[in-house]
Amino acid sequence: MNDSFTTRRRFIVAAVTLSTITTSLSSPSWLSLSAAWAGSTDDSAAAQTLFTGAARLLFPHDRIPDSVYASVMTNVLAAAANDPGLSSTLQSAEDSLNSRRSQPWVALESPEQLAVLQELQGESFFVVLTETVRGNFYYHPDVWKYIDYPGSSKEFGGYIHRGFDDIDWLPEGS
Amino acid sequence: MSKLFELKDGSVVVVIGSGAGGGTVANELAQKGIDVVCLEAGSRLTLADIVNDPPAMDAKIGWHDKRMGSMAWICKTVGGTTMRWSGVTPRIQEHEFKALSTYGQFDAGTTLIDWPITLDELAPYYDKAEDKMGVSGTHGIPPSAETNNFKVMKAGAKRVGYKEVTSTRTAINPVARDGRAGCQQLGFCNSGCAMGAKWSTLYTEVPAAEKTGNFELRTEVMAVKINHSKSGQVTGVVYADKAGILHEQKARAICVAGNVVETTRLLLNSASPMFPEGLGNSSDHVGRNYMRHMFAITNAVMPNPVNYHRGTRQSGIILDEQYHKPGRGFAGGYILETLGLDPWNLSNIVGGWGSDNTKFTDKFTYIAGAFVTGEDPPEAANRITLHATEKDANGLPVPVLTYRDHPNSLAMREHSIKMLRELYESLGATEFHGGDVPLGAHNMGVARMSAKAEDGVTNRWGQIHDIPNLFVSDGSVFSTSAAANPTLTIVALAIRQADHIAARMNQKTL
Repeated sequence: MNDSFTTRRRFIVAAVTLSTITTSLSSPSWLSLSAAWAGSTDDSAAAQTLFTGAARLLFPHDRIPDSVYASVMTNVLAAAANDPGLSSTLQSAEDSLNSRRSQPWVALESPEQLAVLQELQGESFFVVLTETVRGNFYYHPDVWKYIDYPGSSKEFGGYIHRGFDDIDWLPEGS
Repeated sequence: MSKLFELKDGSVVVVIGSGAGGGTVANELAQKGIDVVCLEAGSRLTLADIVNDPPAMDAKIGWHDKRMGSMAWICKTVGGTTMRWSGVTPRIQEHEFKALSTYGQFDAGTTLIDWPITLDELAPYYDKAEDKMGVSGTHGIPPSAETNNFKVMKAGAKRVGYKEVTSTRTAINPVARDGRAGCQQLGFCNSGCAMGAKWSTLYTEVPAAEKTGNFELRTEVMAVKINHSKSGQVTGVVYADKAGILHEQKARAICVAGNVVETTRLLLNSASPMFPEGLGNSSDHVGRNYMRHMFAITNAVMPNPVNYHRGTRQSGIILDEQYHKPGRGFAGGYILETLGLDPWNLSNIVGGWGSDNTKFTDKFTYIAGAFVTGEDPPEAANRITLHATEKDANGLPVPVLTYRDHPNSLAMREHSIKMLRELYESLGATEFHGGDVPLGAHNMGVARMSAKAEDGVTNRWGQIHDIPNLFVSDGSVFSTSAAANPTLTIVALAIRQADHIAARMNQKTL
């Protein structure tokens, strides 16, 4: 069981998270899909690989293939090309992840990659990166398919005839 | 049809804001034959503009102007926060109107008072508000349909011994009524109701007022200052139009209903040589005693699917904990309500990252969820102020929000989470998360009603103590927060205020 409410640290994280997301929601940065990642082809490919790996460790779902994480991070990198603040955050993230060990972050074994992320989770870039990935990831329809969230219901007439009250496993008499 | 009034027409009542308070007081006045100009900062959507896409809807209806400090999750759109609210409509209880007498003062920092009105006095207006809004289980309206999420809550409530569990008290039509559709269980209630089944002033009070021929709505205009005469009566509202050009609408009386942040800013920004600290602020209470309820949210992974995204966000409540039972270790009470989230919201509320986070989203269809709203005490230090130098796009000083939970609220939150954990574990929950949600969705108290002028900002009618024709018509007037979701009480107070304004006009005292 996980009831982390009582820890002060989590309280602070939750507060930061919500205020960060408010800011994110008010700007189109993490939903913009149009722009291309600025920089050389090699840099771009390296960034894509690194952030796809980081996204999987930030929000791990065994059922979701790497291609979906890659697609989410392509969107984020594209948005960063038009958003100097996000671009600089991603650069800080890339630099920090790669400088914690003698090898680049992508060359580390998965448990070591996770250890590096844990070491960096207090950094300001980490919060922005996490919330940017969270927003892009959980509002991506390809992700929904794997966790059985169907998205918009209006065009299907809602759930009035599609199971809003179909629960059948509760104890008798309840 | 909608009428157009001249700027120099000083016979009108100007209402600032078109949400629960403003939309209601404006319509009630218009229905009585009183001319009203309503100023709304946001734009006017139609039902066709409402999509099941929370980020897209937040961009359309959310208030995103620059602010500092604590978050306040409020709206800039015709309908105000009635576009985003969940529709839960419990009444404030008798003892909650007498907070100071019932609980006593908590400590040197709290500023509890008793309301200058009683439940008996407000009860007839609660009746009118429930009829107007179509509250389930009242006025012959059936109970709300029980969603899966509510059925889980109800079953767990029975196991832990709760008795007052009800699927009534929601202002979402269970069946078509009063020109509004019945609920089709779309979900997405907090992103505007695409059916119009949930009560919102956008498609009830505003068009009803327009039909009277006594009402004009001006959208995308931002009130920046209230002017007054040498005798201390307010005379007009200066507002910026979409192009930033300033106009002054003359007024016979003014009702301010901008939700607490904008109500505070407008009163403080209207400072003058006669009212150097801002309008209504001779007591230094404007912006103080800012309350926003003790909130908590829990999510539990159940042993079998729940699908809490299907249907209304909040379809039932538990009232057993709403009473004042000091044996629990805190004063005041709280109400347990169902809550369904989308995957991003779930991930965000659980917080953090890694498998501790995704063990919830990974079992998305197995989650049952609850929301808790409880009484928080007024404190002088919880307040909204104006930044000394930072300005927004309209040249207005940026509001700064300061709010922290009182230890009483921390104890209440811990208790509510413990009870919900017990409730869901009684049905076999395998994972549980409970925590704070510093959302600022229930905003109250910055212009509170008080019997004595020195204790607050407004009198028992929501009239500014020292300005006879200036009223506050939103949640800012709450003397204390009580536990109940505030909208029903805001609407009841607005109906009552309109009666008072009309009576004074008849008596020629306004």
